[in-house]
Amino acid sequence: MTRTSVGAYGALVPPSPHGVRAAVGKVLHTGVLASGAILLTGYVVGLARESATFRSAATEQAHLAGKATYPHSFVAVWDGLAHGSSEAIIVAAMLMLILTPVAGLLTAAVAFARRGDWLFTAISAIVLAVICASFLLGALAR
Amino acid sequence: MTIAELSLVLFVISIGAGALGSLLGLGGGFILVPVLTLAFHLDIRLAIGTSIVAVAATSSAGAARNVGESITNLRVATFLALATTVGAVTGALLAGVFDDRLLFGLFGAILLVSGVQMLRKRSSAATHESSPATQAATAPASSGQSPVAGARHLADRLSLHSAYYDEAQAREVPYIVTHTGLGLGLMYVAGTVSGLLGIGSGALKVPAMDLAMHIPMKVSTATSNLLIGLTAAASAVVYFARGDIDPLIVGPVAIGVLVGAWQGSKLLVRMRSDRLRVVFVIALCLVATQMLWKAIA
Repeated sequence: MTRTSVGAYGALVPPSPHGVRAAVGKVLHTGVLASGAILLTGYVVGLARESATFRSAATEQAHLAGKATYPHSFVAVWDGLAHGSSEAIIVAAMLMLILTPVAGLLTAAVAFARRGDWLFTAISAIVLAVICASFLLGALAR
Repeated sequence: MTIAELSLVLFVISIGAGALGSLLGLGGGFILVPVLTLAFHLDIRLAIGTSIVAVAATSSAGAARNVGESITNLRVATFLALATTVGAVTGALLAGVFDDRLLFGLFGAILLVSGVQMLRKRSSAATHESSPATQAATAPASSGQSPVAGARHLADRLSLHSAYYDEAQAREVPYIVTHTGLGLGLMYVAGTVSGLLGIGSGALKVPAMDLAMHIPMKVSTATSNLLIGLTAAASAVVYFARGDIDPLIVGPVAIGVLVGAWQGSKLLVRMRSDRLRVVFVIALCLVATQMLWKAIA
């Protein structure tokens, strides 16, 4: 799908970071497909094993009103996964989805470094550091 | 309704939100939050949590396709992410310092003005989306003859200029990025606003790239799409820990958004840029109305 730049404008286009783009695209692709598949697995497990939850109108109301309980810490998700809980599987898939863009950036940083593009390696690393800082900030503020 | 039925309805709605979100670089939250709260009476806290996951999903699914096709400018996204992520942290730190209503009013008004400017740009650059860039492209950077030559030296140093293949025009469209410093400043503001108000800042990012940096419309929306995923990721973990992400609500939304965003990113390649611009401005007015409403209500 990728095309190289040609013609009179060729000189304008930077030494095209094909490798970087392809690598980032692949990681995003994998993250999206994997988390989508895990999400669906969570639903199949839920419908098969906890069909009462999925077929009750009262549960629906509780969820819409924000009064339902579900795992919302890494420990709880891990425990739930060990017990094969559908909600834990779905939450794990969502965490994976949320982290996919960050994984893309991490891949870009590595790919820039491999090309010897140190300026962009540094820029990507700083952005990653800021994102990590905001994770920590969020954890502290809680 | 049962959870199973609700999931099906949410899935279908989210396909539309994901398609528009990835096409326009807005993330889909601007459709989901009002629909979820008004039609389903979903708790606002959960609606915002859902929207954050939807933004990450739109961003990843859209960019998975568009990065490879070089519609997304990865170098511009990486560089501007410096400002959007620092802005998002600033916004989170400043939360509660300013009057939310005032901010909603101010930024609603800014969006409306941006919308008008973007429409005017359409009529002035009627034939070619990239006309100033193409003119500059033929002149060497050092000649100083081109009006944009002076404004592009930072982008020259960062090698931000690029080209993408436009299926609607059936040709490769090269473009020159200008006013990178101004763009970076605007992105910082956009990031701060998103952190302060918890709203998708794509509505501010696309006009900044389009109007200030002269990046083609398609590249602006695709690049904004990748950027908002990074800022969403930064805040989503906080929402998760607070318990604002309900798996049974977000699950079907996420799957729908993934399907929709994938289609939206396909459509982006084929759509005519001037039409994309009109659709974007309509969505921008919608977002501006939401913001102005919050300022009054």
